[in-house]
Amino acid sequence: MTSNDLLAILPELALVLGGGVLVLAEVFAPSLRRAFGVLAAATAAGALTLRWTLAADSLVFSAALRIDDLARFVDTYVLVAVILAALVAVPYLDRTRQAFGEFYGLLLWAAAGAMVMAKTDHFLVVFVGLELLSISLYVLSAFHRTSGVSLEAGWKYLVVGAFAAAILLFGIALAYGATGTFSLAEVTAKAAARELHPTPLLLAGLAFILAGFAFKLAVVPFHAWAPDVYQGSPTPVTALLSVVPKGAVLVVLARIAAAFAPATLTPQWLPMLAAVAVASMTLGNLVAIAQRDLKRMLAYSGIAHMGYALVGLVAFGRDGLAGVLVYFAAYTLMNIAAFAVVAAFSESEDEPHLLTDLAGQGWQRPVLAFALSIAMFSLAGIPPTVGFTAKFLVFRAAINDGWVWLAVVGVLNSLVSAFYYVRVVFYLYMKPLPKREPDYAEPWTIRLVAAGCAAGVVGFGVLPAWLLGLAEAAAAALVR
Amino acid sequence: MHDTLLSTLILTPGAAGLLLLLLAPRRADTFVRWAGLVTSLATLALAGMAWARFDASNPGFQLVEQRAWLPQIGISYSLGMDGIALVLVLLTALLQPLVFISSWLSISKHVKGYVSAMLLLETGVLGAFLATDLFLFYVFWELMLIPMYFIIGVWGGERRIYAAVKFVLFTLAGSLLMLVGILYLGYLHHAQHGTWSFAYSDMLTLDIAMGSGFWGSPQLLLFAAFALAFAIKVPVWPLHTWLPDAHVEAPTGGSVILAGILLKLGTFGLMRFNRPLFPEAWEAATPLFMTLAVVAIIYGAFVAWAQKDIKKLVAYSSVSHMGFIILGLFAGTVASTQGALIQMINHGLSTGALFMLVGVIYDRRHTRLIEDFGGLATVMPAYTFAFLLATLSSIGLPGLNGFVGEFLILAGAFAKHPIAVACGATGIVLGAVYMLSLVQRVFWNALVHEENRTLADLTWREWLAFAPLAVFMVWIGVQPGTFLALSEAAVRQLIGG
Repeated sequence: MTSNDLLAILPELALVLGGGVLVLAEVFAPSLRRAFGVLAAATAAGALTLRWTLAADSLVFSAALRIDDLARFVDTYVLVAVILAALVAVPYLDRTRQAFGEFYGLLLWAAAGAMVMAKTDHFLVVFVGLELLSISLYVLSAFHRTSGVSLEAGWKYLVVGAFAAAILLFGIALAYGATGTFSLAEVTAKAAARELHPTPLLLAGLAFILAGFAFKLAVVPFHAWAPDVYQGSPTPVTALLSVVPKGAVLVVLARIAAAFAPATLTPQWLPMLAAVAVASMTLGNLVAIAQRDLKRMLAYSGIAHMGYALVGLVAFGRDGLAGVLVYFAAYTLMNIAAFAVVAAFSESEDEPHLLTDLAGQGWQRPVLAFALSIAMFSLAGIPPTVGFTAKFLVFRAAINDGWVWLAVVGVLNSLVSAFYYVRVVFYLYMKPLPKREPDYAEPWTIRLVAAGCAAGVVGFGVLPAWLLGLAEAAAAALVR
Repeated sequence: MHDTLLSTLILTPGAAGLLLLLLAPRRADTFVRWAGLVTSLATLALAGMAWARFDASNPGFQLVEQRAWLPQIGISYSLGMDGIALVLVLLTALLQPLVFISSWLSISKHVKGYVSAMLLLETGVLGAFLATDLFLFYVFWELMLIPMYFIIGVWGGERRIYAAVKFVLFTLAGSLLMLVGILYLGYLHHAQHGTWSFAYSDMLTLDIAMGSGFWGSPQLLLFAAFALAFAIKVPVWPLHTWLPDAHVEAPTGGSVILAGILLKLGTFGLMRFNRPLFPEAWEAATPLFMTLAVVAIIYGAFVAWAQKDIKKLVAYSSVSHMGFIILGLFAGTVASTQGALIQMINHGLSTGALFMLVGVIYDRRHTRLIEDFGGLATVMPAYTFAFLLATLSSIGLPGLNGFVGEFLILAGAFAKHPIAVACGATGIVLGAVYMLSLVQRVFWNALVHEENRTLADLTWREWLAFAPLAVFMVWIGVQPGTFLALSEAAVRQLIGG
């Protein structure tokens, strides 16, 4: 380990140490509790700044970590998501009297796990990063330890997650048996030298790896945990859970796909991904229509959105990967905007977050309602929002790669999804207020997060060139 | 090139709408109404400036603007105006202030939202008429969706939710497939010229194979993807079922904009995209669309005849009238296409006026059922005159605008499609039947309902909203040459004659 190695992972170190400090501060300086959230956000912001100051072209820790434009892009949306989630959590935890340092410590550790996982070339480091991320999230999901639904969420997530981890590990072992290496860089070299063959062993290994990751992505048929966990977890955690692990896992999948050269070595990979994408989009959108609880609806919407993102991976290449990355940046903004508002529109955590609770709020709480509406239109993919740009890019890549039917399935799914997203707007603005007006708090941090995300959603929708430029540079780091 | 007139024209209403939405205080209704009116008048002035600088002898795009937008994938922010776009822009800019005037008092809740939505909608409409990049066109096209959803859903009638959701889903169903079509065109450009592009002028250079069969023909599939979006908007029978709901439930201003302008986007799209981009598919689809047009004309007329609700009657008359426009477009001669274009304007004026006038008695009586009226001519003479003028314009009385359009369409189409013209012409007779029987039942017959005796006649504000429309109805009727000349060169180029 050289000083160069340590310098390159300074952002991750900052997060891990910052998290540790917060956990210790809980013990030794509990009077500072009010500042924990802001401190966590500041630590993440510091890590983000560090990541952008450091050079992004190094291979460190014996080539286990690859710090390139792709890593920087993923770090950026992971950290942005963490900052936003921490800000949403401040008033939320105050209200539920759970404002403990451990919460923010785990938040930062989860981010570190996701960041490590997304920038490694080594299967075992992927696994370590994934576990750091997952274990932090298991605890965070169950953070309302007096609430039954929260405990249930944490427990379910843990059981399913452990199961998925085992499957993933099994797949990694099989792939190791077939390739003789844990390193994706070496796999790439072997594939280029035509030393790899699509043996049953390798295919089984890849299938298990895909299945393991599919649990984390919550795509069909490995999605069943998502609605319960989304619903039960504290809302800021749900916000984080819905973007960070999925974003990191997709990048790992992209790295694997790039290494195993899907089109030549393993053509079976593409139909498998396409089938998962179609099933996720269709089932996610159809079932979301039937939901009455906002968080559950967003869970199914998330299942569908992972389907759209997978379309970009099916159409693998620079265009497809850039599309997926823009998709994730977009998804982060619109999903966190939605969950921030959901966190505000509830009186107590034990109650379901019913759609009907939104009735008439559009005219009562204009800022939050407007932000939620913009998030919904963006999730539905209606221009001029970044959700539309992202879908456009993904479908463009699909058509460019000859997957016209997949793009058609995708747009038809957008039509289905418009129904339930627009219904949220309908409740906000077109339903009368109930007789007993709900007592919603509207703290300024949530307003800030929601309005900021909404501004980002529209801003990147109108002027997407910069974001796409970043994503293309990041994609070029992986696919030349 | 950095002429910014068109950008200013497009963005003025939207920017003002956003500013009002974000900054205007909640209870400043009067201020917001004035701000909306002034903005729309400024937009009208800008459209007038564009008209003044327009050279009618030049068939191409003028006042062109082009900026890089998403250069990585060949998307540019490019605008341009030809004669076809000009007349529709003028119609839009003219109707918008009239809508604000006519709904000055009838909209009393959430005035700020209403005015903002209307202004954003105007930006979407103007942008769609003037965009010369397919991606940009799509963005503006979809931009219209959200404001209209709010206008119907918040300020509409009893079944507004159903109507609003139906409107959104129908529109999206069409436009999403168009999006795939647009993407495929960009991909074709990439395949044929090596770069991605969505520019309209580049699309015209594409060689799109006809192939064999429907599913094996890229050109037919693309034609269908675009035509579906536009046919839903027009609406072409049998895709019209959203229209009566949306029109009837929308507030008066929403109906005026919907009938007056939004429907025209469908026929405009067919003219702008389907015909020049997919000429062979256009030929192949002509018999189908001719048939659908004739069915729409006759079906719309009969269904209108059977209506008990005045607004519904006017809504179904739109189905019939839009059928004429489709007939003119697909007949494909210069005269019939010019007729279709002028008929778009006429329909905007006369149906816009009719919806406005229906709104006038609805505001007074809160009913639109024909049987609740009768004998209004003695109580509201000025209103009767206005309604009759709009009716006569709508049914094509010589000397008023409707006649010009219908005559040109039928005369231009006769040589090639005599049967379609013969069937379509019966629609004119039927149009006279249902409109005049409406006039008779509402205005002539005996005054049987006591509450109608005290109805107030048109106020000065209602006159103000109606008068400009009346002026144009007569002007186009008497001197159509002035307006036809604007689009003649562009239409000739489109037809290739």
